[in-house]
Amino acid sequence: MLIRIQGGRVVDPTDGRDGVGDVWIEDGCVVAASEREPDRTIDASGCVVMAGGVEVHSHIAGGNVVMSRLLLPDLYVSEAAPDGHPFAQAGGSGAWIGANYARMGYTTAIEPALPPSNALATHLELADIPLLDRGGLAVMGNDDHLLQLLRDGEGESAVRDLVTHTLAHSRALGVKCINAGGASAFKDGVLRLSLDDEIPVYGLSTRTIMTALLDAVDAIKVPHPLHVHCNNLGLPGADDSFVATLEAAEGRRIHFAHAQFYAYGVADPENPNTGGFRSAAERINAAMDAHPNATYDVGQVVFGQTVTISLDILRQFGGRKGAKPKKWAISAGDAEGGGVVPFLYRPRGPVSSLQWAIGLELMLLSSNPERTILTTDHPNGGVFTEYPRIIHLLMDAEEREREIATLPSVVRERSGLATIEREYSLSEIAQLTRSGPAKLLGLTDRGHLRPGAKADVAVYRDSKDRTAMFANAKLVLKDGRTIVEDGEIVAWGFGRTLELDVEAETGIEARAETYLQDRFGAGLDTFAVPDAAFPERDVFEDVACRA
Amino acid sequence: MAAWVKGGAVETQAAIEAAVGLLAASHTPVFAGLCAELAAVRAAYRLADTIGASLDPAAGADLYAELGPLTATGGMATTAAETLGRADLVLVVGARPWTGDFVAEVAGSSPSRGRTAGAERAVLSLGGPQNGATRHVAYGLGNHDLAVALGYLRAFVKGHLAGEEALSDLAKRLSAAQYGVVIYDAGEIGELGVEMLQGLIKDLNETTRFFGLGRADPFQGRAVVQLAAWTTGQPPRVGFGRHQPEHDPWRFDSARQIAAGEADAALWLASLPAPRPDWLSSLPSIAIVGEGSPEATPGTAEIVFSVGVPGESLGGALWHERRGVVSYVEPKDDPGRSSAGLSAADVLAGIRDRLQDRLASKKAASC
Repeated sequence: MLIRIQGGRVVDPTDGRDGVGDVWIEDGCVVAASEREPDRTIDASGCVVMAGGVEVHSHIAGGNVVMSRLLLPDLYVSEAAPDGHPFAQAGGSGAWIGANYARMGYTTAIEPALPPSNALATHLELADIPLLDRGGLAVMGNDDHLLQLLRDGEGESAVRDLVTHTLAHSRALGVKCINAGGASAFKDGVLRLSLDDEIPVYGLSTRTIMTALLDAVDAIKVPHPLHVHCNNLGLPGADDSFVATLEAAEGRRIHFAHAQFYAYGVADPENPNTGGFRSAAERINAAMDAHPNATYDVGQVVFGQTVTISLDILRQFGGRKGAKPKKWAISAGDAEGGGVVPFLYRPRGPVSSLQWAIGLELMLLSSNPERTILTTDHPNGGVFTEYPRIIHLLMDAEEREREIATLPSVVRERSGLATIEREYSLSEIAQLTRSGPAKLLGLTDRGHLRPGAKADVAVYRDSKDRTAMFANAKLVLKDGRTIVEDGEIVAWGFGRTLELDVEAETGIEARAETYLQDRFGAGLDTFAVPDAAFPERDVFEDVACRA
Repeated sequence: MAAWVKGGAVETQAAIEAAVGLLAASHTPVFAGLCAELAAVRAAYRLADTIGASLDPAAGADLYAELGPLTATGGMATTAAETLGRADLVLVVGARPWTGDFVAEVAGSSPSRGRTAGAERAVLSLGGPQNGATRHVAYGLGNHDLAVALGYLRAFVKGHLAGEEALSDLAKRLSAAQYGVVIYDAGEIGELGVEMLQGLIKDLNETTRFFGLGRADPFQGRAVVQLAAWTTGQPPRVGFGRHQPEHDPWRFDSARQIAAGEADAALWLASLPAPRPDWLSSLPSIAIVGEGSPEATPGTAEIVFSVGVPGESLGGALWHERRGVVSYVEPKDDPGRSSAGLSAADVLAGIRDRLQDRLASKKAASC
């Protein structure tokens, strides 16, 4: 079927488009303007037309997300829904996640923490998220198997083979390391770890583990660069960890997760641990400008109750006493494990206000929005449904000023947000939420509206109230099929789970089998993610490695 | 695959039609058991959502002893592999963990990873069977039950009690561990016991590393919990009577509902072995049970489906106790054979499809 989206303001920064025009679609793809009569014409006059949104870092599946629901079953509200997709109104469920992303015009979402030891359940959960394409990043950096290889100096090829095997076996799209070595160190009694601190027993450091993974990801030609969660998240002076990690990459492609939680400079050098923090947004962005090999997502904080979820058990254990409500769960798992700590970003509280300001400051000071991805690190900084409000604040300096006026003076004293006049354009928003994340993930078929792109398209009614505009898309197409009209889901279906097209060497398969049998009393088959395990068919879609 | 309606053998489709009629005529159906592969449990959740039923896994009581304290206070846990690889001290609480081979394996091995590697592993017990088959140091409960004894033990660890009692000695040993693990069965020590135990573990973590390792129930409860959480955002037990998931472990306890006369129909799902509830024949009921099981007979319920068994005639995602995760089991038999029979998921989806047709017709007729 030939579809013409007619007369909308088409915003596609990858093609230099920002003006009234048409988008043509056929067989699930964007095509060049056609001379033929379209089978369907969508009137987009008065609307903004963008590619579907792409999420790079949102905790939407996995054992820790499950644990968060068990710990806080009443965090989200469920509503009665006698019709429609099962469970889409069940707060916090997979269907609820898919529906809420789709309403905002998002069509792809990536879970950044896919534990290889629990890959099947995570994939079953991802596959139950409707409407979106989704994927996961395999977490490495604390597993004894990898650390043994590094300790024993087995060389780059052994590490590369293990990473390839892990990617293939866990059916992941990329690789992430989370406070590399930190979980292992925590189990051995360590409570704070920096880039070059020794990981007990292994004689390694975060630097050695991370650089080995950077090399492996490059050698395998994984499109998404190593996705790095640094040491010392959320602590005053975390900016030092961020910059040191950036420099440690030595020019290799690297992505930083939730940079806001690292943009905390020490406020009082005389009392670094007790004097609080101040914004290091300028320093972080200057470092980024000096290192074009790097990207980051923001991890914007929003006010209100949430739950923090992380495989960084060292950090989550450290933050347990700040839990609100006062309950928390830590699992010392087979590699990282996980920590779930409820948290309240107190509305107009001084600390949460400063965190809120720092996230916005990072984005507003960024010289390249395409390397600055909008996330809330859902649910760690807050729920992803707050994206429209964040976009509103980025695009409207007056709205920002009104919000800042309600906040404590620390926002002006310890961040530069109030002095920034910049307002994001629609093109820059598209870079932040579409082209940037798609490029970062190596998904060349989305994030833009050039011929050949997947027909994942969002149409918004243009309005100065950007919150309303981006909260409920007028129309969303997924693979050319209408899934949202006027903010409501009108057709339910499932997207695909994106997995990297890699094959493990048979040598590492045999070696892994031996290792796993010895360690777990169970072999590779218990780690497998076979197609047959999925009630729905055609769950997975291959993504090619870089040429 | 075989099916019976009111004791008579019928074709599958006829049994599905009968099941649709039974559920459509009910006002408050309950789905119980859920001892099955995840695909079947998923289908049961979808059917429950369609018909407004409540769901209660066979593992309910044991699960709630774990989930209740978890929701109230959280906890600290580890895995079987980490216990074997790292624990320099293991405390076995109660009698139930001694069934199976795991405690003997723990006692017969030493830590091999982390700072405890090479150390000798101490195995201690509190309120255990005190047999001599496995090397361990046994501590008795005195006059206390397990939960109260754990309270005393926690008080000694915290320094709130002091003295020469055996529990004082045990407290000192726990505090001296570098990677300690408590193996317990939540169903045995109960909600209060688990909450006290997790409080003890959290206290110990002020100075060292200590974790809990709760035994899983044998009825797929932990796999059900995961699917329940991602499907509804909440753990089981759950009811859909008001077209939204409502998590309420007391209200949706199937045995209580049936004893109180609140339920007027039941569906029992057990493609894997699970104890048949005594209430099954007391109300209009459907049983979906594994082929070859004692329940796969015409008299088990008003409508009975005999379905493929995961790990035998079907593949399926199941809880792997040793790994502590969901993993896929292949069918043992010739894969070709499974096409001859239906899975529980097929049956449940078939019932749901027909129910949806019926509901749609009813809606159209009322317009």
